[in-house]
Amino acid sequence: MEIIEDIKGDVDVLTLKGRLDAGSTKSIKEKINSLVKKNRASIVLDMGSVDFIDSSGLGSLVSCLRLVNKMEGDIKIASLQDQVRGIFELTRLHRVFQIFDDSNTAVNNF
Amino acid sequence: MRKIRFIIDSDLENVAMVGMSINRLCSLIPLSEINAYQIELCAVEAINNSIIHSYEAALLHKVEITFGFDNDNIVIKVYDTGKSLDKDIMDKADISLFENGEDINKISEDGRGLALIKEVMDKVDYCTTDGKNCLTMIKLLPITS
Repeated sequence: MEIIEDIKGDVDVLTLKGRLDAGSTKSIKEKINSLVKKNRASIVLDMGSVDFIDSSGLGSLVSCLRLVNKMEGDIKIASLQDQVRGIFELTRLHRVFQIFDDSNTAVNNF
Repeated sequence: MRKIRFIIDSDLENVAMVGMSINRLCSLIPLSEINAYQIELCAVEAINNSIIHSYEAALLHKVEITFGFDNDNIVIKVYDTGKSLDKDIMDKADISLFENGEDINKISEDGRGLALIKEVMDKVDYCTTDGKNCLTMIKLLPITS
């Protein structure tokens, strides 16, 4: 899992590339943790280049959202591929995360 | 039934190789991208369960996976020789139990794997014979949804 960081004002945009699965959840958790420690808790995850997510990946996102919510922040998700969006819907997590078609729209929603 | 067998060491780093292979093998059936993704997901979840729960994340064990299909079924079997799955956990796994509205504090971080498998697959069975656990997942063909 590759993570590319971009800062847009108060919002950190993390572009994820690859698979978000049981073998790669550590990297996203560590990244979000490091942002929270710097009081950065307005985060957009651009997942347009994530072609696979499993239940461990979903669990890591829930964990990260819980963490930033404690800082009164939020995680918004952008650019989901159809099959990944399908898993969000299957697990009802599309009702928990705000999901946007692109990262700019997600950033502007903060 | 056409069938292929994979054997991997019990390291989460190895799971994606089997998952991606199964996804590509689905093009022989053929399946839509979304259906192939969901079949891959079930295989990955089952292998993850073997590594994380049966072997408690210990390396150097083996996980064996078979993927087969004919005109009527896709059959995936995942074998390990670790701790057996509690039948109660299998029976109670249900994706609707994760329906907890929008309150993030009421939403579980884990435990969705088996529920996802049961939601996607048409038949799921778990048995232990002579110390060898086997999770069998069957998807009926053609897939209509």
